[in-house]
Amino acid sequence: MRGANAALGTAGLAAFLALGEAAPRLGLVKAAYFPPTSRIADALGQEATDGAFWTALGDTLTGWALGLVTAVVAGVVVGLVVSVVPYLREATASTIEFLRPIPSVALIPLAVLLYGTELRSVLLLVVYASFWQILVQVLYGVRDVDPVAEETARSYGLGPWARTRHVLWPTALPYVMTGVRLAAAVALILAVTAELVIGAPGLGARIAVAQSSQAVPDLYALVVVTGLLGLLINVGARAVERRALAWHQSVRGEVAV
Amino acid sequence: MRRLLAGLAVGTFLVTASACGSSDDSGTSDKGASSGGTTTVKVGIIPIVDVAPLYLGRQKGFYGKRGLKLSMTTAQGGAAIVPGVVSGQFQFGFSNMTSLMIARSQNVPVKAVANGAASTGLTGKDFGAITVKKGSALTSAKDLEGKKVAVNTLKNINETAVRESVRKAGGDPSRVKFVELAFDQMPAALDSGQIDAAMVVEPALATVRSQGGTEIASSLVDVAKDLTVAMYFTSTQYEQKNPDVVKRFQEATAESLAYADAHPDEVRSVVTSYTKIPAAVLAKVTLPKWPAEPNRASIEALEKLGEQDGLFKSAPDLDELLP
Repeated sequence: MRGANAALGTAGLAAFLALGEAAPRLGLVKAAYFPPTSRIADALGQEATDGAFWTALGDTLTGWALGLVTAVVAGVVVGLVVSVVPYLREATASTIEFLRPIPSVALIPLAVLLYGTELRSVLLLVVYASFWQILVQVLYGVRDVDPVAEETARSYGLGPWARTRHVLWPTALPYVMTGVRLAAAVALILAVTAELVIGAPGLGARIAVAQSSQAVPDLYALVVVTGLLGLLINVGARAVERRALAWHQSVRGEVAV
Repeated sequence: MRRLLAGLAVGTFLVTASACGSSDDSGTSDKGASSGGTTTVKVGIIPIVDVAPLYLGRQKGFYGKRGLKLSMTTAQGGAAIVPGVVSGQFQFGFSNMTSLMIARSQNVPVKAVANGAASTGLTGKDFGAITVKKGSALTSAKDLEGKKVAVNTLKNINETAVRESVRKAGGDPSRVKFVELAFDQMPAALDSGQIDAAMVVEPALATVRSQGGTEIASSLVDVAKDLTVAMYFTSTQYEQKNPDVVKRFQEATAESLAYADAHPDEVRSVVTSYTKIPAAVLAKVTLPKWPAEPNRASIEALEKLGEQDGLFKSAPDLDELLP
């Protein structure tokens, strides 16, 4: 089953690449604005030999990782505290719903005012965007706790800490993991966007330079790199999720069938 | 090992946190930290041909011999540069004249300190032009009435310039439909017919030319003879606290501009160090002029046109803005 999936995935990708090669060559799109796959691959090879490219990749990954970790820690802590204290939950609900839809990109001028074009302004945007993904999942996760299990734990005399550890956390964890997976993707998008618009060092800034330089194949090569990064991050996040939830029905069920 | 990593992580976090805390005093002069007689200044620039003299001047040591170390920070445009300079994240920035006048008219404390780039003043041989696609029926700026014309930013220098070209050609600029489009997207949009004309600058202009597109007006030339298009600026606060650094930056920049103007080949080679302009395109790029001094008469003309088109809330005071 797995092998067939992989084969299908590869075939899909190959067809996509072939289409990318054929469309400009057949004159369906102009090669000047949409270079064929082979020219993009060529530019990608050029990039790979440039040390500055690897530095940029490192900068982007640093922003992504630091931002994601901060957002996950903050989201889990705030989410648990807010949902465990009933008053707090009522008091913050409307504020959260107000802040959540604000697009991170709208905070760019603020980020620049505070931190200039450094890593910290990228982090501000990344953390802001991915924090909500985690927080909302934690809130839903805690709400999903089975009242019977909670009451049973209480009647067995489990304290607040033990109840959190044995009842609340296992219920919330699948939600948290979904949040982490979503946040990982959002964090990458925001890291690249912030670099692109603000000019903080990284792949985004390199894309911006290629764009304003009319270096079209280089531009696409860098876009391909961000796409690959997104793919790797998603695969990684799924692997982490499977590991963390190995005991959970949703994961165990797949294996048993 | 694990403990070491954890310790490092916590340490990094604390350093970041304390660095955040100290950013409150970013307005003070110690940001441009000086050590051993050398002052490091951050300059917010757009990675385009216009700022080549700065890179060339740094390479030639014009800044170094005055005790300045330039640290260039690239940004997409004024959206990041102006707030960066005003908040003291950068000591200097690069911006077009209209943006600086708009900022000044809104009481944003900016002060132009050194010349940036100027139009060549030659019709048909400038670094910016209104272009149409190959075989277009439009032959003069007057024909733009009722047509879609792309500018990089609405209500800014290029819109003013296009309006003036239309006016000079005997047309009515209020009938032109302006659309906002990034310079780099203009060649493709022009080619596919999404827009009827585009106000482009280099290197997109060279791309349009290579597709057989033609120029129907040199708008920056139409605004004024030898128009000062852009300047380097700082915040009034920084200027007052560090008059000496500003003076050294002015002198070094003037020397760099003069050198760049006299050595176009070196300019083209330094451009490849901070942009990705392909060699074939770069060879055909028209370079701007880099006079050491801004042309006040041209800036006044630009101001008058901007006022006429309603860009300013109140007329900016040029005596306060210009060096």
